Amino acid sequence: MRDRISDPPLAPSLPLYLGVGLVAGAVIALQICIMRIFSVGSWAHFGSLVVSLAMLAFGLVSAVMCIGKGFFARRWRLVAGLSVVLFAPLLVAANLMAQQVPFNAIFLLSDPMQKWRLAANFALYLVPFLAGALFLGTVFLKADRFFARVYFADLVGAGLGGLVFLGTLFLLPPENLVVTPIVLALAGGLCWFSATASGRRVLRFDALLLGVGGLAVAAHVVLPPALGLTTLAVSDYKGVSYARKFPDSHLVYRNYSPFGDIAVYGSSYLHFAPGLSDNAAFNMPQVPENAYLGLYIDGEGPSGIIRDLKPEETAYFRFLPMVYPYLLAQNSDTFVIQFGGGISTDVALRDGSKSVTVAESNPEILKAFRTDKTLRDFTGDVLNDPRVHVVDYDGRLYLAAHPASYDVVDLSLADSAGLSAPGGFAIVEKYAYTRQAMETYMRALKPGGILSVTLWNKEEPPKSVLKLYATLVEAARAVEPDDATRATPAAVENSFFAVSSYLSTATVLYKKGGFTPADIAKLRDHTHAMSFDDVYWPGIPFDASATDKLLADYRGSIFSDAPSPAAGKAAVAGAAATEDVEDDGGAGPAPKVLPSTQMGRLAWHALVYGGWPEIADRYVFDSRALTNDRPYFAAYVKPRDLPNLLDRLEIVQDEWGYLLLWATLGIAAIAAVSLVIIPVVFGWRSVFSAAPGKGRTILYFACLGLGYIVVEVGLIADYTLALNNATVSASILITSMLVFSGLGSLTAERTLDRARTVLPAILLAIGVILIGYGFFLDRALVLIGTLPYAWRLLICFLTVAPPAFLMGFPMPTAMTWLARLGKEHMFLWAWGINGCFSVVGAAAVPLIATAFGLSTVLTVGGIAYLVAIPAFFAVVLPILGRGRPSAPGLSPGLSLKV
Amino acid sequence: MDRRTFLIGAGSLAAAALLWRPGMALADVPKAYDASLTPPTTGRDDYIKWMVSNRGEDPKFLGEHWDRYQALLHNHDIWDDKDGRAFLLTPREFFVRTPNLARAYDHAFLDIGFGVTISGPHAVARMTSSLDIKPGEKVLEIGTGSGYQSAYLSHLTDKVWSIEIIKPLAERTRATYDELAAKGYAEFKAIASKNADGYYGWAENGPFDKIVVTCGIDHIPPPLLQQLKPGGIMVIPVGPPGAQRVLKVEKTVAADGSITVARSDIFNKIVPFVPFTKLEGDAIQGNHNK
Repeated sequence: MRDRISDPPLAPSLPLYLGVGLVAGAVIALQICIMRIFSVGSWAHFGSLVVSLAMLAFGLVSAVMCIGKGFFARRWRLVAGLSVVLFAPLLVAANLMAQQVPFNAIFLLSDPMQKWRLAANFALYLVPFLAGALFLGTVFLKADRFFARVYFADLVGAGLGGLVFLGTLFLLPPENLVVTPIVLALAGGLCWFSATASGRRVLRFDALLLGVGGLAVAAHVVLPPALGLTTLAVSDYKGVSYARKFPDSHLVYRNYSPFGDIAVYGSSYLHFAPGLSDNAAFNMPQVPENAYLGLYIDGEGPSGIIRDLKPEETAYFRFLPMVYPYLLAQNSDTFVIQFGGGISTDVALRDGSKSVTVAESNPEILKAFRTDKTLRDFTGDVLNDPRVHVVDYDGRLYLAAHPASYDVVDLSLADSAGLSAPGGFAIVEKYAYTRQAMETYMRALKPGGILSVTLWNKEEPPKSVLKLYATLVEAARAVEPDDATRATPAAVENSFFAVSSYLSTATVLYKKGGFTPADIAKLRDHTHAMSFDDVYWPGIPFDASATDKLLADYRGSIFSDAPSPAAGKAAVAGAAATEDVEDDGGAGPAPKVLPSTQMGRLAWHALVYGGWPEIADRYVFDSRALTNDRPYFAAYVKPRDLPNLLDRLEIVQDEWGYLLLWATLGIAAIAAVSLVIIPVVFGWRSVFSAAPGKGRTILYFACLGLGYIVVEVGLIADYTLALNNATVSASILITSMLVFSGLGSLTAERTLDRARTVLPAILLAIGVILIGYGFFLDRALVLIGTLPYAWRLLICFLTVAPPAFLMGFPMPTAMTWLARLGKEHMFLWAWGINGCFSVVGAAAVPLIATAFGLSTVLTVGGIAYLVAIPAFFAVVLPILGRGRPSAPGLSPGLSLKV
Repeated sequence: MDRRTFLIGAGSLAAAALLWRPGMALADVPKAYDASLTPPTTGRDDYIKWMVSNRGEDPKFLGEHWDRYQALLHNHDIWDDKDGRAFLLTPREFFVRTPNLARAYDHAFLDIGFGVTISGPHAVARMTSSLDIKPGEKVLEIGTGSGYQSAYLSHLTDKVWSIEIIKPLAERTRATYDELAAKGYAEFKAIASKNADGYYGWAENGPFDKIVVTCGIDHIPPPLLQQLKPGGIMVIPVGPPGAQRVLKVEKTVAADGSITVARSDIFNKIVPFVPFTKLEGDAIQGNHNK
């Protein structure tokens, strides 16, 4: 790899483009790979954090290359060749070492060692990204004159690399996923050497590349067993780790795919009866033994898979909260929105449903229940019961598309979130719980039909349940046909019934046409028999005098610095004074109402009779309704309260997923700004003095980096609405965005000479399209969601095309102009700024989405492109003293058209 | 601590190895435990001096022990003298793992392996206070874990049963008790423990006056409610460690024999569960995260 002065320049060729595409594919595969490793081993959020920060590798490399441009321009073969050869061994070494220093999210604040372990993970996973970034940066530097085509290869390669990686998720278990980026990088290296070396040197380089790569893969396979290392350290605090420790636990089923690493364990130690009334203990025979298997997805869980119980074993169903609708509905046609482990389906069947239609959106779970013999035997092959109809996609989308009506629609405890939360809630779109989804369920009811929603109520102060209540009441108002009465109490007053069990579950019933007094009497009798708490029924008494104290106490419980009141002492003193009297008013007919129940009643009163916005504003946590635009239970801390929360992060551990995004945004912003500053400090005078419009050039590339990623990540969340699976949505979106942008970048080459007039128009069009999408996309996606799946995939793929194609223009056009104008340092620097602001944008998306909604995300993306319009004119300013560039049409960049 | 004594014999050597920590050799306890043994609460030095001469513990840990006691009082996690005595007599340093020894008396929960934590001292104290355990009451603990909670309970009553689902952890903690009991912590002999599925309770020793449950489950196991005496109290921490609340369950039986189970928070009112105080030397300052 000796360089000579007479070294020929990098020439455009097919192997070169293939090489760039494959290495770009390897880098994106590596990103998804690390996220998968963290999802399975510990906590997905830290995967995203590590990947986001590792993407700063691009910024770091660009800053270094910008400063040392001369070296990299001379030694490009050595640098690029070494980078691609070392990618595999660096990745294997980094991964193995990182897995030996796993960190535990739950101790992040309390154990000083944990942050160093996190830092070590970050530093280690940064290394292979550095190699990838160095390779691509060097190629970009040498290909500046035909940048548009290299950029096309980069984007398309990244898009397809993501798709290839998703494919290999079917083939490789999580611990061996690192093989995919390695293979892509090796293939990329082979292409690179045949593009840049000649004769026998190609063979020598190829042998070196494959030898080193082969050794790296061998090390990944051989070293762990030989040295007692773990290839994927699964945290002891993951649900599946507990199941593995039960003495009689045995793996019943395992399957890995893009839909998760699904494992089913059997053990007599697994007990499920979600939300079981405490009264069950005294009023029935035992809950049956060995009635469940535990289902784990990516180690999270368990969800209970219920055994085919004998009729006498199902006596306990009466004590479960999901039984409520069947107290009123007889012989019903029932729709179960999420199959989960099957308990809702069994309850519906046992309680006399004539038919049960059950939907399950994870195809791999359905496959397991339908094809695995053990699971079929265990569940009594419930999915093949003649009374059961199976919908193999999202229940919400099915109901929107099929006008058939039901007597009961059930959405019960679809997540196992109530059991263990080793790190916290994910910022996950919960489209099944949005106002629009609830409207769909309500519309699917026959007259007199009942929608029953049960949610975990394990939070104090209450959070998710308040959001649920608000969502349901808003939905009921929206489906009210009479415009005149929609906003009045009468529209919803008689339609609801709500109960909760403290630190257990909450259930809301909605009856189309309203409950009769006889219905309510029956439901309330049951509530009493179960010792559940009334939260709402038509006519429930409400005492407004406690409101101020209640809201103030809840705020104080999080934000007050006063030591807790001496409640205990008072209680003990009271008990001592009345030693023989049952304390807590146990003898009285009406025990004291708990604050959380009081809060539920307050919410319902305000929602039905007015005043909810003010109550919600005063309440300690965000309790706005979920909508398709803002479908989140997580992110309950109000942004304005964040500064007050910094010294007490431990009490909102279930919110760390959200808070981590703020941390990521902060770190990314600091890193991005430093990477902007470093080249300025080291080279402002020498390098940039002659380049005018520096500030606006920075702004231009920052806008592009921010805008592009904001749109990409935002659309992934949006499209989950129609595709009902985040993995599928991500793969379709990444591929579609990058491939169409690649095509855009290729087309940009033809408009280079007219860039001053064409590009502003394109930027304007992008801004208008994105802002427009923000207005109608969610409604369009609901319609798209009702089509057959193949059509959905195709239409989603194509609807991304218009903005994506245009978004391919701005980057290569500006980069090529920087090169043409001789601003090579700017050229490298711009690439880094673009990368850094991508990280800032990626972290900002969920923060914008949870605070303002997903449509705002697209608006922000659109504005970024609009801001780029005036900034672009600075990019094309000629270097001082050189005048206008001569005949750009004759530049080598255009001579490559073959 | 001028005498270092180690047991002879392979089994006890293994147990000693489990217990031994650098700088903290385990000596025999100078005075055997009895229910009247009560450390002074007149001051830090008094406490340390008394504990060294009666219990033979390391003054370094005793100082931290005292400081945490002050924080517990300040935060109202200890409600009366008997609970204060129980806290002061329970050597937490023997129940944490070696890497966390320096943080034995921190406010935080600590890892003890197997995906299990030893709860923070404030949480243990509050939960125990809310149980209001009287001498002679029968207490069942589901989830032995580190053994610290049961050790604490053994200073309040001499009838403690504890069940641990993870076998190696159950064995390790049992060895800790036996070793400490052999050294003179005779109160730990009162702790009966076994490795089993706590879901089914320990019927042959029930019914119990108080039950402490420390494991995640989506419902309260009916067998435990059945093994709770009328008027009995059960407490269960619910939620992730930070956002955790303590569910209190009371069982009452009316004159007609009907049984009522009432759920509440341990305070029946809204209070912050995590303490917002930290120790700086002897003084208690604002917040432990600052």
